[in-house]
Amino acid sequence: MSKKIGEVILDLQNISLRFGGVKALTDISFDVRRHEIRAIIGPNGAGKSSMLNVINGVYHPQEGKIFWHGNERKRMEPHMAARQNIARTFQNIALFKGMSVLDNIMTGRVTRMKANFIEHALWFGRARQEELAHRQKVEEVIDFLEIQHIRKTPVGRLPYGLQKRVELGRALAAEPSMLLLDEPMAGMNVEEKQDMCRFILDVNDQFGTTIVLIEHDMGVVMDISDRVVVLDYGKKIGDGVPDEVKNNEDVIRAYLGAGH
Amino acid sequence: MLYREAGQFKTTYAADQQIFPIRQDRIAVIALLAVAFVGVPLFASEYWFSAILIPFLIFALAALGLNVLTGYAGQLSLGSAAFMAVGAYAAYNFQLRIEGIPIMLSFILAGLTAAGVGVLFGLPSLRIKGFYLAVATLAAQFFIVWCLTKFPWLSNNSSSGVISTQKLIVFGYELDRPVEKYLLVLSIVVLMAFAAKNMVRSSTGRAWMAVRDMDVAASVIGIRLMPTKLLAFAVSSFYCGVAGAMYAFCYLGSVEPDGFSLDMSFKILFMIIIGGVGSIMGSFLGAAFILLLPIFLDIALPYCADLFGLPFSSATVSHIQILVFGGLIMFFLIVEPHGLARLWQIAKEKLRLWPFPH
Ligand SMILES: Nc1ncnc2c1ncn2[C@@H]1O[C@H](COP(=O)(O)OP(=O)(O)OP(=O)(O)O)[C@@H](O)[C@H]1O
Ligand SMILES: [Mg+2]
Repeated sequence: MSKKIGEVILDLQNISLRFGGVKALTDISFDVRRHEIRAIIGPNGAGKSSMLNVINGVYHPQEGKIFWHGNERKRMEPHMAARQNIARTFQNIALFKGMSVLDNIMTGRVTRMKANFIEHALWFGRARQEELAHRQKVEEVIDFLEIQHIRKTPVGRLPYGLQKRVELGRALAAEPSMLLLDEPMAGMNVEEKQDMCRFILDVNDQFGTTIVLIEHDMGVVMDISDRVVVLDYGKKIGDGVPDEVKNNEDVIRAYLGAGH
Repeated sequence: MLYREAGQFKTTYAADQQIFPIRQDRIAVIALLAVAFVGVPLFASEYWFSAILIPFLIFALAALGLNVLTGYAGQLSLGSAAFMAVGAYAAYNFQLRIEGIPIMLSFILAGLTAAGVGVLFGLPSLRIKGFYLAVATLAAQFFIVWCLTKFPWLSNNSSSGVISTQKLIVFGYELDRPVEKYLLVLSIVVLMAFAAKNMVRSSTGRAWMAVRDMDVAASVIGIRLMPTKLLAFAVSSFYCGVAGAMYAFCYLGSVEPDGFSLDMSFKILFMIIIGGVGSIMGSFLGAAFILLLPIFLDIALPYCADLFGLPFSSATVSHIQILVFGGLIMFFLIVEPHGLARLWQIAKEKLRLWPFPH
């Protein structure tokens, strides 16, 4: 692999997050570089999802600083993260159950649509053109993920694996510069996992999207990620390229401790 | 003609994104509009216009308004009747206090007034959901009716807040025959129904549904919850407000605050439950069903009683009506939460495959 990993675009410094007495994250620092696949691993309850929630503004850490493209970020709400081109998927599928696959993915483009509700009501000017232009873009995503056949299906009727794929599609539709994936392969069979791996690698490769990935399947993580952060009980216990992390004593102990 | 998509290949996304992508649906809608605008005025009697068709259209509009808020944006409201009252009284006051204002303009302003009030009572939705929000809108229901009785200025100092609406003059022409009022109401309702359909099929509607289905995911995608919810309250109340103005001006001619009771709010809620939550057509089906069922029972019940030789009183009719309503509402809530519109959808899907079901 000879891809160009660029400068640091997201830098988290000394992040601490508490829920009442529960310390979800304690003094965590790490960075993410342009174009890399950065994995976050750790046993259950380690604080991985909380970390993603901090990155896109769902949770607000009590301490620590976040630098986005070199600028310190103020307290930020999730919809603002979306406007800074950060997209994500969720550990528990968070699709819009009452809508079709197409409509779900169309919502991914909401930050790029400018027409207001009056234009929509009258189906006039920008409204019509925008719906068409964005439909074009969404169809590209649908082709990329090979889900043409379920375009009009209500997402609730789809099997789990396809729902995960649609959720990825909704995130991709935003054309994000950074994509946060929370266990995109959980609960999938081998074949579905392979597809998902391929999509993630293609997104990273073709669109140059930076990816932050939470995953429990060590094989997958070691295979596709450039650097790995390891969390345990809300603390960082390892950080580096896959081989380094694999041989890190603390990491081995955490995993053995949790597993046995 | 068979009901098929087959053979109707869509070669452009524009064709696929038409308001009614299936040709048979387009034909059906055009036929329905032709019947409503031309056929009905030729044949219907005065009784039908003033006792059935006009209230049906007005309630369908109110149900449509509630459906935008509850069915699409997922915010439960028990204040629809109160927002209709705001529309009725606002239209009355605009007519009364602004010299020479066109009636259409007062209807629009009435809608906007209701929208403003709706946004105000929608503010709690930023913090609370579901049952608690319903209670907050219940407060709107009682507060608004109370205000209309309490402040005589709003009803031009009439006793107990009764208002008699001004003449209905449109473009210099006075509409006083039922058929004329019907055509006015029909035009307004059709326009607003198309506008609603356009909103829900575009990104405005998708934002509402996203907030309804999963608000955290919606905000992570970039949808701002506050403006999205408040817009739903505004649009919904606008629809209810215009419906209320027409309720006063085109249907009853004289209304009092207590006429816009909690009962009426519930009636509108039942319309969307039975017709279909989150469906434009469902609002019409539900309104028709709820308004026609009592009329049907009035005719059918004495007849049935007669048939079986049972004793019969008008009290029995109203009791049975309540029973039937209760039963139907439970049926739809439990068995088919998407109402008649969904049943219609299923029928269409079957029809699409008919006569080869596999
Ligand atoms: N919204 C919340 N309120 C209270 N506690 C929370 C909340 N979110 C997370 N926590 C707590 O923070 C800790 C870390 O949770 P988190 O979901 O980030 O773990 P995780 O590493 O993603 O685990 P898993 O592998 O099971 O997904 C847990 O103890 C959890 O109970
Ligand atoms: Mg998690």
